[in-house]
Amino acid sequence: MNFADENFELREVQKLEGHTDRVWSLAWKPTTGVDGAPAVLASCSGDKTVRIWEQSSATGSFQCKAVLEDTHNRTVRSCAWSPSGKLLATASFDATTAIWEDVGGDFTCVSTLEGHENEVKSVSWNASGSLLATCGRDKSVWIWEVLPHNEFDCVSVLQGHTQDVKMVQWHPSMDILFSCSYDNTIKVWAEDGGNDDWHCVQTLNESSSGHTSTVWALSFNASGDKMVSCSDDLTIKIWGADIMSMQSGDENAPWTHLCTLSGYHDRTIFSVHWSREGIICTGAADDAIRLFVESEESVADGPMYKLLTKKEKAHDMDVNAVLWSSTGNKLLASASDDGTVKIWELGSSSGQKKLQL
Amino acid sequence: MDCIEDIFESSLKLEETHFKDGYDEGHADGLISGKEEGRQVGLKTGFEIGEELGFYRGCVDVWNSAARVDPNFISVRIQKTIKQMDELLHSYPILEPEKESGSDMIDALRLKFRAICASLNMKLEYNGYPKTSDVEF
Repeated sequence: MNFADENFELREVQKLEGHTDRVWSLAWKPTTGVDGAPAVLASCSGDKTVRIWEQSSATGSFQCKAVLEDTHNRTVRSCAWSPSGKLLATASFDATTAIWEDVGGDFTCVSTLEGHENEVKSVSWNASGSLLATCGRDKSVWIWEVLPHNEFDCVSVLQGHTQDVKMVQWHPSMDILFSCSYDNTIKVWAEDGGNDDWHCVQTLNESSSGHTSTVWALSFNASGDKMVSCSDDLTIKIWGADIMSMQSGDENAPWTHLCTLSGYHDRTIFSVHWSREGIICTGAADDAIRLFVESEESVADGPMYKLLTKKEKAHDMDVNAVLWSSTGNKLLASASDDGTVKIWELGSSSGQKKLQL
Repeated sequence: MDCIEDIFESSLKLEETHFKDGYDEGHADGLISGKEEGRQVGLKTGFEIGEELGFYRGCVDVWNSAARVDPNFISVRIQKTIKQMDELLHSYPILEPEKESGSDMIDALRLKFRAICASLNMKLEYNGYPKTSDVEF
């Protein structure tokens, strides 16, 4: 794709209203939005509910299809679909993680994972859907195995962060877990042998050119050899690892700092997501959404990134989450403290035509 | 001349003498109260560690009994973790309080205990059970 010749802009497609408190997090349902299956998006909120939005194939607009309520009794902070799209995991400040089964649009809570001492902040499925990770204010990271009949075994409780853990994220193809924290670090967790023996194999901190304040989120590029992280220190950082040697069995190939994008943000960056097409999107406390792409000026000793476009006042308040759809429709969703979810599409600002990536 | 120096010597050394007397008295008192305080801390910490280890011992024994009665009650993975707790409890250096491995082992026991309780869907604790969030602001 070529981002050099044209100017691009984000166009608001739709504003989704319904939540009665801040919206924290989003999840596009896998296997939807392609091959005639209508796109489905989940959003979770301080109003203790999760809303399921479905795109109408006739009008193209999103409608709320289900409200998942009466299970969590505090804020729902994070939600994640299993890779098959059959299960939705929701992490809550009520210290539990709920597992919902989607049977033809009817959602039933089939399991509740208890173990964290207090607020659960994030939940993530591994690529195969066999493992689930959670993290929270009790500084711990938990790994659960998905068993038949909606049973979950706790595989490991990992202690290592010295503060609130903000997010857990599995690598897109390998069973390596990443966590980021209020302690300013990113930790990499891997299993030693097939023995439930999970431990921290790397800590990316200030001495590894890492962040100097809370790390809020991280995301991977399509091939999984690069990772982007965003922070309260107003920077986003790109990390790289030798994925070939990782795939050949050396799972501990270290991640190294490739570059830092600073000067673009002047408030906390809460969310970052890397699209399959290579566009990095950030959501920040200045209510704006920014898009970055790798610059043609990238040099031999590392890639460089440039701002593609910035959407000022994308929301009325903090942007808590940004998430690209992983399927063909190239839509971006954002969630905000203003209680709304917005759907965006990226196009060239000269013509009205939709960008063909 | 010598005679005059002698006269003043005691008053010249007055400050030094008082300092030494005070120091000796303070040192003696400090030894007593320091020992007593050390004894109290030792009693308290020793009791706390003993209480926690005993609690785990009891849980592990009950789980092992339950697993013997109904082997399907606890999954293989969790039985393995219970066994690891069992081994840690056996090898804990109870009579060597200065051995550093002790605190690592307590940490490992706590994590394994949490994992087992979560998988068995149990909430087990006693009054005063240590929580990581206690030190949270």
